[in-house]
This record gives sequence, C-alpha cells and structure tokens, in this order.
Amino acid sequence: MTAAATAPALTFACKTADVAVGKPRIVTIGRIGVGIFQLEDGYAALLNICPHRAGQLCEGPISGTTRQTDKTEFVYERAGELIRCAWHGWEFDIRSGKCLVDDKLKARTFPVHVDGDDIYLEMAR
Amino acid sequence: MFIVDTDVHNYWSSAEVLLPYLEPYWRDFLVRGEKPGPRGSFPHGHRPWLHPEGFSRADIRPETEEDNYLIMKEKHLDLYDIDVAILTADEPLEASTLANYHYANALVKAYNDYMIDWWLPKDSRLKGSIIISPTDPHGAAAEIRRLGGHKDIVQVLASHGSQRPYGDPFYHPIYEACAEVGLPFAIHFGGQGGVNHNAVASGPTAYYWETHALLSQPAMTHVVSMISNGVFEKYPDLYFVVIECGVSWLPSLMWRLDANFKALRKETPWLKMLPSEYCRRNIRFSTQPLEQPQNVRHLWETLEHMDGQNTLLFASDYPHWDFDAPTNLHIPPAWRDKVMGLNALEVYKRIEAPAATARVA
Repeated sequence: MTAAATAPALTFACKTADVAVGKPRIVTIGRIGVGIFQLEDGYAALLNICPHRAGQLCEGPISGTTRQTDKTEFVYERAGELIRCAWHGWEFDIRSGKCLVDDKLKARTFPVHVDGDDIYLEMAR
Repeated sequence: MFIVDTDVHNYWSSAEVLLPYLEPYWRDFLVRGEKPGPRGSFPHGHRPWLHPEGFSRADIRPETEEDNYLIMKEKHLDLYDIDVAILTADEPLEASTLANYHYANALVKAYNDYMIDWWLPKDSRLKGSIIISPTDPHGAAAEIRRLGGHKDIVQVLASHGSQRPYGDPFYHPIYEACAEVGLPFAIHFGGQGGVNHNAVASGPTAYYWETHALLSQPAMTHVVSMISNGVFEKYPDLYFVVIECGVSWLPSLMWRLDANFKALRKETPWLKMLPSEYCRRNIRFSTQPLEQPQNVRHLWETLEHMDGQNTLLFASDYPHWDFDAPTNLHIPPAWRDKVMGLNALEVYKRIEAPAATARVA
C-alpha cells in the first residue's frame, strides 16, 4: 500500500493569518460551519454546532475556568483553552471537544494540518 | 407548522430610546438623575446576585438600535419561520423594582409608546405586551385602558418579582382593566430586586444558577394566590400566563392544593371549583426553560398531569442564554401543533388564526 493511498483527504479551511490566539475564524465548508482556533501550541477545529442543543458553539467566548477544588477558592486555569457555547454557555475543551461537566458529551473535532500558511482539515470520517 | 413564540425579548442598545416618549420632568430624571449604570442604563433596583456571563446569547451582537431588529429577524423570526412573536421587552419589566412608583409608571408608559412606535410597524409578525409596574395598580389599570384597544397589543405583562402575591386584592384593579379590554395578564421572570426584596424564599441566593433554578418559587406563590383569592371567580374569562418560570413543578402543587382545599374550603367560600380546575381553565404556562431530565419520558409523564397538551405555550426566550429553539423542544410529538402555536390562539384572541387552521375548539 502506498503512502498516497493511506493519506487522509484534506480540505482547505483558511490561511494561518486568518486566525490568531483568542480570535478564531468560522469557515463554511460545503454546508457546515467549522471554527478554526489557534492555541499556544497549534491549531484546532470544532464543528460550529453544540452537542447540547445545536447552538452556535464557536461564536461564544474563549476563556478559562475555575479549577475543581476541595475548598472554597477560585483558581482560574486553562485560559484560552475553552470555548463557551454562544447559546447556553456550556464549556468545551477546544482541543478534545469534551464538555467539562460531562465528558461523554463531545463537540465534533477535525484534525488540523498546516502546510505553509494554509490550514487544512481532515473532514472525511 | 404554525408557531407562536410567546417570549421574544426586544432589546435596545440604550434606554435613551425612551427620551422622546417621556414627559419633560421624567426626561430630566433619566438624563441627569442617578442611574444604576452608565448613561443609557435603565433605572431599577438591582438584584442581589449577578449573572457571571451576562444574559444575552454571545452570538447576538447588535451595534446599532436597528441591529436589535435585524438580528432578531435573521437569527430568529426568519430562521425558524416564526409566525407570531410576542414581544416581552427586557429591562422595562424591572421598573417594578423602583420605590418611586410615579417614575416607574412614567418609564413603562414611555416604553409602551416606544414599542408601539418603533417595534410593531417593523414586522407584521410582532405583537406587543403592555408593560405595567404593579407597584401602583391604579396607575397600571389606567395604562391598560389607555393602550388596551391597540390591535397589535395582545397581553399585559408584569415581572414575577412583586411586593405581594398577585392574587392580593391590592392588585385586582389590574385584572378589572384586563377583563375590560379583553387582554390576558402575564408575569415573566424578573423584577427580583429593589422593593421586590422577597423574590427568593428564605432570602437571596448567592449564585446566579441557583437563582435561575428557583425561578419557579414566586410563580408558585402567584398561581396559588390568584386561585385562592378568587380572581378567576371575579374574572372568569381572564387568562393568567406564567412566562419563564418552569412548568414541571405544577402537578405536585395542584395535588397538594386540591387535597388541602377539600379539607379547608371554608376559608375561601367564594371558590366553586377545585384549585386544579381553575388552573386548567384560566392559567397557561410558557415552555421555556423546559426542564431537562436524563430521561425525557419522566418529563412527559409529569406534563401529562397538567394537561400540557392544552396548557403549554411555546416560548424561546430569544435572545437569552437559556434560549429554547423551536426545532429542539422536547415535548411529545403529538402535542407539537397545539403547544407550538394553536394553544396561543385561545389565550391571545387578537392573533389571527392561520388560514388553513381553525381555532382549537
């Protein structure tokens, strides 16, 4: 089997200049919206549909949150790693798509490939 | 499907949209007087708790006054093919928290004129609510009589935060006026600060999500009070609409009320039916925020006990953070036509029935 036969099909999403840390870009590919995020260590992509109630997930604020603690304190962590759905505010990890209060609930993610200044997504599953 | 959304919030970007509609003294008060925030904020006594993310959906970002309508049109009315949207204002409901009831009356009066002037002509799908401040029932009644004949006004609306339970005879002038002009009286979650200091039983909650989960508390008190004080004997055709207060608490409350009434009916000899019968005849509940159990059948069974097929009215609460989309409302499929739109025709008589659909008998 050749390398070409096993290579994933890639779909162009946007230029690297179109996104910045804290400033995602929502692109429309075919009929679906995908949020492209730049994180400190790379890029991530999430379907712009929240698995909770189908809200505009990627139009919400990027934020951190409070760490689960054993005492009454507020430890802010994971700044820039979470997206709060624009509709109901449920928190999701941008890299894994997992919902913070229920990790069985997962936003759809797409593997990201960067080639020069082009960002591609693996969309076929 | 014919859709009536019974809770659509028409935002403004600044409360100064009211200035042209205020009498000179009150205009000065709003321009130069103390406000709870920067210029453009609406006068009110604030709640003891704060929402950590704000109330609006993060994807609704108006920049101009016109955007408030244009975004509603694009992201709600057109997107979901809504036939009728009942405007429920937003901040004006908070006028009920002010001790100065003259100012409260002036503010809601200005809002009502602004809404009729600015919002209703924009889109034939929009219907209005007369906002009243219940702190002055006679003033509220005068406002209801002033505007109650407008063809696109479909209800009278007050905050669910109040100084007394709404069945108290203190408030009956409001219902007399509603009955006179043929409009339902509705309450909506809100008005939980200022003079309405007891809007959460046993004292204020610390966190917003606590408060929101307890939004049913004042509604329970009002439902019981309206029934026990005989409002629906005095005004048998009056509909009382409970908006954004949850729904699944109602059956257990009615079971308890009916049982108590059977033992102690002598306290309220003016009642001629069981409490649950008044509730079924005169009270309607908006769906949002519909409870979300793990197993939706637990919810459906509960809703059957309140005859939800006939007593629920669809509401989205656009554009708030706890919005329910019409396409994602977890009610029994067989109820959808009634709950999404036809039940509203019974309550809101001025809404035109769709040509292909007769009113529910």
